Amino acid sequence: MFSRNCADRHTCFGLLALRFNYSPYLACRTAPRTCTSYSTPLGNFALIFGDDDDGPCYLPSYAPEKAEDDRDLLSSEGVNGGGADATSEEGTSEVQEFHRNEDEYPPSQSPSDVNGFKCISYNMKELDLDDDRRSAENMEGSCEQAKDSDIEVEPAAGNGHVEGYKSYASSECGGASKSGQGQDTDLLKRDLIPGKQHQNEDDSSAAWRRHKKHFFILSHAGKPIYSRYGDEHKLAGFSATLQAIMSFVENGGDSIKYVRAGDHQVVFLVKGPVYLVSISSTDEPLRALRRQLDLLHGQLLLILTKSLEKCFVKNANFDLRPLLGGTENVFSSLIHSFSWNPASFLCSYTCLPLSHTARQAAGAALQDVADNDLLFALLLSDSKVISLVGAQKASLHPDDIFLLSNFVSSSESFRTTESFSPVCLPKYNSTVFVYAYVRYLDTDTCLILITKNSEAFFHLKDCRARVESFLMETHVLRDISNSVARGGLRVEDLPAGDSIYGSVPRSKRVGTVGDGKASNSTAAGTKERPGVGGAAGLWHFIYRSVYLDQYVASEFSSPTQTPEAQKRLFRAYERLYASMHGAPGGSHQMQYRRDENHVLLAWSTADFEFFAAFDPLAEKSSAITVCNRVCQWIRDVENDFFFVGASPFNW
Amino acid sequence: MATVGTNNMQAKLVLLGDMGAGKSSLVLRFVKGQFQEFQESTIGAAFFSQTVAVNETTVKFEIWDTAGQERYHSLAPMYYRGAAAAIIVFDITNNDSFVRAKKWVQELQRQGNENLVMALAGNKSDLASKRKVETEEAQTYAEENGLFYLETSAKSAQNVNELFYEIARRLPKAQPIQPPSGMLLSDRPADRTAKSSCCS
Ligand SMILES: Nc1nc2c(ncn2[C@@H]2O[C@H](COP(=O)(O)OP(=O)(O)OP(=O)(O)O)[C@@H](O)[C@H]2O)c(=O)[nH]1
Ligand SMILES: [Mg+2]
Repeated sequence: MFSRNCADRHTCFGLLALRFNYSPYLACRTAPRTCTSYSTPLGNFALIFGDDDDGPCYLPSYAPEKAEDDRDLLSSEGVNGGGADATSEEGTSEVQEFHRNEDEYPPSQSPSDVNGFKCISYNMKELDLDDDRRSAENMEGSCEQAKDSDIEVEPAAGNGHVEGYKSYASSECGGASKSGQGQDTDLLKRDLIPGKQHQNEDDSSAAWRRHKKHFFILSHAGKPIYSRYGDEHKLAGFSATLQAIMSFVENGGDSIKYVRAGDHQVVFLVKGPVYLVSISSTDEPLRALRRQLDLLHGQLLLILTKSLEKCFVKNANFDLRPLLGGTENVFSSLIHSFSWNPASFLCSYTCLPLSHTARQAAGAALQDVADNDLLFALLLSDSKVISLVGAQKASLHPDDIFLLSNFVSSSESFRTTESFSPVCLPKYNSTVFVYAYVRYLDTDTCLILITKNSEAFFHLKDCRARVESFLMETHVLRDISNSVARGGLRVEDLPAGDSIYGSVPRSKRVGTVGDGKASNSTAAGTKERPGVGGAAGLWHFIYRSVYLDQYVASEFSSPTQTPEAQKRLFRAYERLYASMHGAPGGSHQMQYRRDENHVLLAWSTADFEFFAAFDPLAEKSSAITVCNRVCQWIRDVENDFFFVGASPFNW
Repeated sequence: MATVGTNNMQAKLVLLGDMGAGKSSLVLRFVKGQFQEFQESTIGAAFFSQTVAVNETTVKFEIWDTAGQERYHSLAPMYYRGAAAAIIVFDITNNDSFVRAKKWVQELQRQGNENLVMALAGNKSDLASKRKVETEEAQTYAEENGLFYLETSAKSAQNVNELFYEIARRLPKAQPIQPPSGMLLSDRPADRTAKSSCCS
């Protein structure tokens, strides 16, 4: 292979590869196409730069044995350093069993064998040194392309069979909220060890490199701002390396977005003077990783506002870390939520299940205190919304709900007493602080009142007192804690089938066609089938209302009650969601996938999106029938699971 | 500001000082009688109220426990504006926190409120073996700047109630009602009354 004018690039990527010991293959794309092989003590790298879209580039590099060794080291699960992350990323590579239609993919994108060992081919389209002339929307588009080729490179992330209809243009990924999937069944959520873990590691320690998912925030001058693992101070050199790569590409008028290095994906996001990078071997879709970086940036803004950028205007070498003192938990809990909270990829929020009357009463209590000083009133149970009111016709973006609720719930100090703190709601207005009055009404229930008026504390304190006494008098607080204790929808409780929805599910014990006494037979059925989940082997589902920007997820049924199973499912949904939204030729309306762990079904209409996981032996036709029933069921109980009083968000 | 009723008054009290100096710990010791080894860093400012009785007057403190984190410095005026009293806290085992405390004193002095009662609290006196700031040094500084100085320990409770009672005693008995600073003072009854009297 041949090099042209890219000594610096080699150095950059070589360095990156070296520091991580990854990288049998590295590729990126920028304006002039150049390929080179690059020799290091660890082996040879081939680096390719180019802009043609006409075919693959082959990147044989390391000697294959060497590559294997390194990958072993990096992906071996058992050796995971210190436990904090041991369960946080799965390393399983799913075997995509079925329906892959080879014809769908141009031959150039197939994995191929070159020089006797496996080589990954890239279609240049997928590669991600993007022209920064492109608008943000287009960037999204290019991610989607990359996602697609991801699938190609890694069968595990394969695209499912396209069941039928085509092309439902994905709406822009709008926002998110936090949500648990049931207090009692969500094991992943509880996993979080607050604060920064592995503080003593740095990029020279093997344990540090073994973490499956790193996040970095750094300044455009290369100063570390945040690192998920290890002490930022000690990672200054590593940070500088990332910065060197990113600014090198930037200087060429491009921006680097994505590098794949063996099992690792390196995703870059530039936000003015702030660079965000994730390095992961979790096999998540690029689109999801980018969104995670975006949320990370949003969290940074929530704490400091966009005016943090001014610090860098005055002094490019500004050290932002002191300004983030005491926020480790906020970031670690956010990153943790990327592996348990569906809101992190669904861009929606979820509600605490509550009877319609109770929710209306809560809404009325908030509405009652809405006045000129109050911008938003938000009643949360943990990360779930009970009710919210936007005064002055303002609406609260799901992302802002997500980031705000993460900020509040991860900061112990809010639980002590009432507080009044400046926060920035990045989607509402990323340049200014608003002020949040925060008060926990009981262990889970938290009232957040947002104002623009820095002097409004005592007023908001009064508002809170009014809301609180109203919620007490109307017993809504009691209803809320009952709901928390009860948990959410359970697949076992799905009413039995209705003849309208077709055939009986595989498990005949779950009701019969047209059986009106649904719940009885279902309950009986569940008892007889311990550990099987719901009808037709239904294990879990997520239903997202497009119109309301809210979703509801079922509790985890017994087959998914290990952290591993939940993590696997979470990642599967994440991929499913990305493939529903990210396909280059438009999105798929329905997908059915089977692998060794589950059958996954995704269904997207103009009104809702539905994702379900079944027992791997579930029959397709019964699965589809059950999905129909679940969707019907959810529409029947919509008032209890969605905040329908909300005017649709308009952004 | 301090407002006077028949026999009771309400006083806004603000705690300022470096992060980790022990502001929250002091307030929690005073208000709830608790101490936590792992007290989380405060976000923005936390609000407490506590009523104490001195010489037949009850003083209801409205306490702002501010965050010492650097990013909140510029927002401090929001919390100390209109305060009747301020406790500037430093950690006797940390010289930087003393330097920081002096800066807070200067900043408050620049506000030009002569009636402001200021206390300097050298906290963590239980950690005497790790002391970095000598008592005399802090004492001298306090005298020169019109503060009173106490060494406290939120952990052992030493001098904590004394600190707040001394402030209550020093509050001007009557103060002209200042024009409202924009904050609406709530007139809610005191949440609870401190059990202990001054020298508990
Ligand atoms: N030994 C000892 N430790 C103390 C004392 N007071 C506070 N601490 C500890 O010091 C640490 C910081 O205390 P905080 O009360 O959170 O300090 P703060 O001034 O409120 O800090 P910020 O909220 O960040 O501004 C905690 O771990 C406390 O347990 C004390 O009197 N003695
Ligand atoms: Mg504090």
